[in-house]
Amino acid sequence: MTGDQFLFLILAALSTVSSLLVIFQRNIVRSAMALVATLFLVAVLFLTLDAPMVGFLQILVYAGAIMVLFLFVIMLLNSALLEQRQNFWWGFGSLTALLLVIEILFLVSKSFELDGRSPSLSGSFGSPELLAQTLFTDFVLPFEIASLLLLVAIIGAVVLAKRGA
Amino acid sequence: MDQPIQTDYLRWIVLLPLLGAATNGLLGAQLQKRFGKGLISTIAIAPVLGSFLLSVRALFDLVALQPEQRFLIDRLYTWITTGSLNVDVAFWIDPLSAVMILVVTGIGGLIHIYSIGYMHDDNSYWRFFTFLNLFTFAMLLLVTGDNLLLVFVGWEGVGLCSYALIGFWYQDHVNTTAGNKAFIVNRVGDFGFILGIFLIFWTLDHQGHGTVSFREIQKFASLLKNQEIWGGGVATLATLFLFVGATGKSAQIPLYVWLPDAMQGPTPVSALIHAATMVTAGVYMIARLHFLYSMAPLTLEVVAVIGVATALFAATIALTQNDIKRVLAYSTISQLGYMFLGAGVAAYGAAIFHLMTHAFFKACLFLGSGSVIHAMGGEQDMGKMGGLRSAMPYTFWTFAISVLAIAGTPLTGGFFSKDEILWQAFSSAHGSPLLWSLGVVGAGLTAFYMFRQLFLVFFGNSRADHHTQEHLHESPKVMTVPLVILAIGSIAAGWIGLPEVFGGSQFAEWLEPVFGKPHEMAASEGPELLLMICSVAVAAVGFFIAYLMYYRGALAPERFSSLAGGALYRLFYNKYYVDEIYQAIFVRGTLLLARTGAWIDQHIIDFIVDGSAKTTAYISWFNGLFDNYVIDGIVNALANITFWAGGKFRKVQTGNINSYLYVILGAVVLAIIVRLRYSS
Amino acid sequence: METNLTPLLPAAEVTLTALTVLLLDLFLREEEKGFLAWISVTGLALAAGMAFFLWGSQEGAFRNTLLLDDFALFFTEIFLGTALLTILSSIHYLRETNIRSGEYYALILFSTTGMILMAAANDLILFFLGLETMSVGVYILTGMWRERVEASEAAMKYFLIGAFATGFLLYGIALIFGATGSTNLTRISFFLSLSFHQWPLLVIAGVYLVFIGLAFKIGAFPFHFWVPDVYEGAPTPITGFMSVAVKAAAFAGWARIFVHQFSVVEHEWGVPLHALAILTMTVGNLLAIAQSSVKRMLAYSSIAHAGYLLIGVVAGKEPGGSALLFYLLAYAPMTLGAFAVLLALKDGEKDNESYDDFAGVGLKRPFLGMAMSIFMLSLAGFPPLSGFTGKFYLFRSAIVSGYTDLAIIGALNSLLSVIYYLRVIVKMYMEQGGVEAQPFAKAPCLYVAIVIAVLGTVGLGLLPARALSLSGVSYLSLR
Repeated sequence: MTGDQFLFLILAALSTVSSLLVIFQRNIVRSAMALVATLFLVAVLFLTLDAPMVGFLQILVYAGAIMVLFLFVIMLLNSALLEQRQNFWWGFGSLTALLLVIEILFLVSKSFELDGRSPSLSGSFGSPELLAQTLFTDFVLPFEIASLLLLVAIIGAVVLAKRGA
Repeated sequence: MDQPIQTDYLRWIVLLPLLGAATNGLLGAQLQKRFGKGLISTIAIAPVLGSFLLSVRALFDLVALQPEQRFLIDRLYTWITTGSLNVDVAFWIDPLSAVMILVVTGIGGLIHIYSIGYMHDDNSYWRFFTFLNLFTFAMLLLVTGDNLLLVFVGWEGVGLCSYALIGFWYQDHVNTTAGNKAFIVNRVGDFGFILGIFLIFWTLDHQGHGTVSFREIQKFASLLKNQEIWGGGVATLATLFLFVGATGKSAQIPLYVWLPDAMQGPTPVSALIHAATMVTAGVYMIARLHFLYSMAPLTLEVVAVIGVATALFAATIALTQNDIKRVLAYSTISQLGYMFLGAGVAAYGAAIFHLMTHAFFKACLFLGSGSVIHAMGGEQDMGKMGGLRSAMPYTFWTFAISVLAIAGTPLTGGFFSKDEILWQAFSSAHGSPLLWSLGVVGAGLTAFYMFRQLFLVFFGNSRADHHTQEHLHESPKVMTVPLVILAIGSIAAGWIGLPEVFGGSQFAEWLEPVFGKPHEMAASEGPELLLMICSVAVAAVGFFIAYLMYYRGALAPERFSSLAGGALYRLFYNKYYVDEIYQAIFVRGTLLLARTGAWIDQHIIDFIVDGSAKTTAYISWFNGLFDNYVIDGIVNALANITFWAGGKFRKVQTGNINSYLYVILGAVVLAIIVRLRYSS
Repeated sequence: METNLTPLLPAAEVTLTALTVLLLDLFLREEEKGFLAWISVTGLALAAGMAFFLWGSQEGAFRNTLLLDDFALFFTEIFLGTALLTILSSIHYLRETNIRSGEYYALILFSTTGMILMAAANDLILFFLGLETMSVGVYILTGMWRERVEASEAAMKYFLIGAFATGFLLYGIALIFGATGSTNLTRISFFLSLSFHQWPLLVIAGVYLVFIGLAFKIGAFPFHFWVPDVYEGAPTPITGFMSVAVKAAAFAGWARIFVHQFSVVEHEWGVPLHALAILTMTVGNLLAIAQSSVKRMLAYSSIAHAGYLLIGVVAGKEPGGSALLFYLLAYAPMTLGAFAVLLALKDGEKDNESYDDFAGVGLKRPFLGMAMSIFMLSLAGFPPLSGFTGKFYLFRSAIVSGYTDLAIIGALNSLLSVIYYLRVIVKMYMEQGGVEAQPFAKAPCLYVAIVIAVLGTVGLGLLPARALSLSGVSYLSLR
């Protein structure tokens, strides 16, 4: 086991634990904080996986902007405790999710077993330059459409949130 | 025959009534208000008359041609074109469809005229004529369409119009129910019809000749031979499917149930749709596709058996009915049975011949009954009639002539055509003495119930109340003239199809280019005459019993009705309880399925939530049950169960999205597992 | 580098119109807001004109993420037409309710843009973004009548379930990307055809997940539970928009992605889809019988029609594909028309959507009665209306491709459907005591929409040849 792999395993385990905490915490502020931790850990994961740009964005956008907004809303609404969950569905949902994870793991492993090759990466994969290049050549249209999607979402938020005309 | 003669007037035969329907349908309400009913009926009748005249022209054009070239076509445009399939909107006339259009426009026209008088006091006059025209259009489309798909359009169209006309007096809920029943039962038949079309198209398509046009199907019919599907011959299956369609439209067992109820409509409708035209569509279709049916002996056998069974079955029901129109309705079903018997023994010409003569006398009977109902102020119960002979001479005489015709009295139209069918049922390669004898029994029953009706309505003393008696009157000219014409037709129509013994049938000769030569007319004059005498004798017995019972009163009807403890009578009178059985099985069944499904759909989530999420609650309840059982006994336990059930079925609205999504997730997980097992 | 912007024209035009509407909305007074509808209609008509003139072109843009082919243009026209009819029938509705018209029209237009992109996308990412733009727009439209509790509830349900479905779709795309190294459909299908019968399980799993995501969007069994609630809760014009345009957009995905590009792996998705088609139409039809609200009945009927349409997907290739396209075209006017008539019954705050409200409408308003009868008969597959020709092609395609069972079950289902469609006609003509429908003078645009729908329904039934050859050409233009 190389050092890289060791690091990956630790980070992956930590982020799994913290994301579980997000779900299982009954105090909503703690939940949010656990989410911040998760996002940070995932960002670090990105960094170790040759995707520094995505990693930085993760921290800036999610951990920075969105989580702050979340916390604001939570504080404003002032409802710190979540209500009791239904035991059965809680269990059922967890179980199926677990099964799905196992299945996906199985699929992924089986898949690489079969053809034995994983997509090889060039040296600069994940660098800001390459990312920008891909984003503004191959994916320039989706990139622009994403802005349209955001516009629609904003309009929606305004329409639904605004009090009567 | 390969180069059909193109014309451009056939389309107007079909389209003129549509034009009338469109005018009255869109502007009728205003026109009627402003210019009165006269204009409405003119707009409606003129196109039908025009169609009739054009049909006559088509007939003459056909006659002018060599027999094997008697074939006109009028192509409008290509309707559907896709890959291997081309369907034209095209109308064609050959000797067979010529007969049909003459019947439809001729008798249909008379009924239109009659309706002027009959519907005179109705406010929805324009609506009535709109549908009547629309119906004529659909029926003409059905008989002139040059391919199965176009015929199907007409086929569905007549069903729809018939539905609208049966439910015409919608204020009475019974009528709308009857209309619905007619439409849905017809759709069941149509399902068979469309399957038949698909099967024929599909098989031909596999051989590289996908088509639905009649001429091409006939050309490639041999390709259907020896083709098998689902363990049967394609020809057999396809014709059986199409025959299912025919049983729906032509009211044969098991789909006949809609026709008696269809009598709820105004009487001209009963005459036009449920006697003279729409119900003959099935017979026409079989005759049109005779080349397929002749390839499928099994289907022919089925057709013949269903035909003769329907003939007998409906006749027995007609024996006991008291409603004047209901008797006629069952007699129509019975007579259609005879037509199918004819078609089933491959005597298509005879079937069409009976179709034509039947159109005359049945239209006359229905219109006559309409005239009676009109005079009686809407009364339909024969038990309250009687002695109408003197008050309504025209109606009486025309009615009597038609009764003679339907009963098969020698030298009337019904005699020649029914006799032809019975003779073929006996002598044809597909026939048998059994079919013949059953047919003869039916003929006897027919004579009985028709004369019973005649005597009950027109003879004896009036059983009506005083008020009705005073208002008895003959119908206006506009109603009696069509009756007279139809009565003349009932007699005369038979003479173009004389039996072989008396010189041979011109009618059969006319249809020869379509059906080919009728089967061998070997030296069979002796048996033919003998059989003829037999059937006349049986009919005479039927007449005589009716005479004794209802004219002389020498024989009490009770002596028959109380046979077998009256069970038989009750069975006939209640129409073998078929309606009740269908209601219980099909109607209730579908509704039950639908409601259960809807309930599950709405409550499945709640059900899962309550059923399993509260497992703990359930267990504790079970403990409680045990305690209660031990301590307080069963009574308390029962109370508990009701309480629990009440809580269980309470509707839970919110919060079920989660559980629904979990269920879906679970299903996906399961599906992946199944997929993985199945692949490895 | 030269960038070809032509393929973007219709979508750009619609977006531009939407932005114009949004901006103008700020400057118009309340009573002038009706003007916005006309801007939207003009914009849509312009876009339709563009699509018309572009017909026959075959080009790609943005490194082939976006394709301009007849297939995309065919669907573009369906979306534009549907949006146009929806706006026409909304004008009266908006006046009666408290919905803000500026945002309402803009959102319809944005959704339409999303749909156009879905139909033209040759890249799963772009397809996904188009789908999201469409869906987000429709989620909001569903809940725009905020005074109505049902509407908010429906919007919430729709949003949650839609997001869930999107999760499947996106995860499927990710898996496919992981296995093939591309999101471009052409390259994916190239990859699939290379490794013949040796596909990594990852791809198959991805295909299944995309399958589930799209099945959600069309409301196929067993992913149909949301349909009745959401359709019933949404404002009626939006229900019509959803059941036609949103469904057509999802089917554009089915046609381009599954029928065409994933045809190599058909043995994987064909069998489950076959079962799904049968179950969807049967369940939809059976449950529609038990409904007492016409709107809810139409929701179930929409499920049933998704089942019919799936026949085309299962039959596949040219016969199935072109039949699918034609049926979508034929389905649009009759469904939109039915919803428009439903709208004509609306009176003030009251929606009047039950069967009993229809009682006597045919006699009080002969035109509405006739129109609704035509739509109902057409939906039931009655000749010679568009529903008949459409079903005929679909069933024929099933037979030609060897799926006789689908044709038979389909025909049986359309027989079953008569029961509930007929009930509307019976109510309209043979009973009395329903509501007064709006007269022409009060809702002229609604009537115009109904007239267009009637013409479409009858026209596609009587003269389907041209439209059918167009749908054939469209399907064959797929590369």
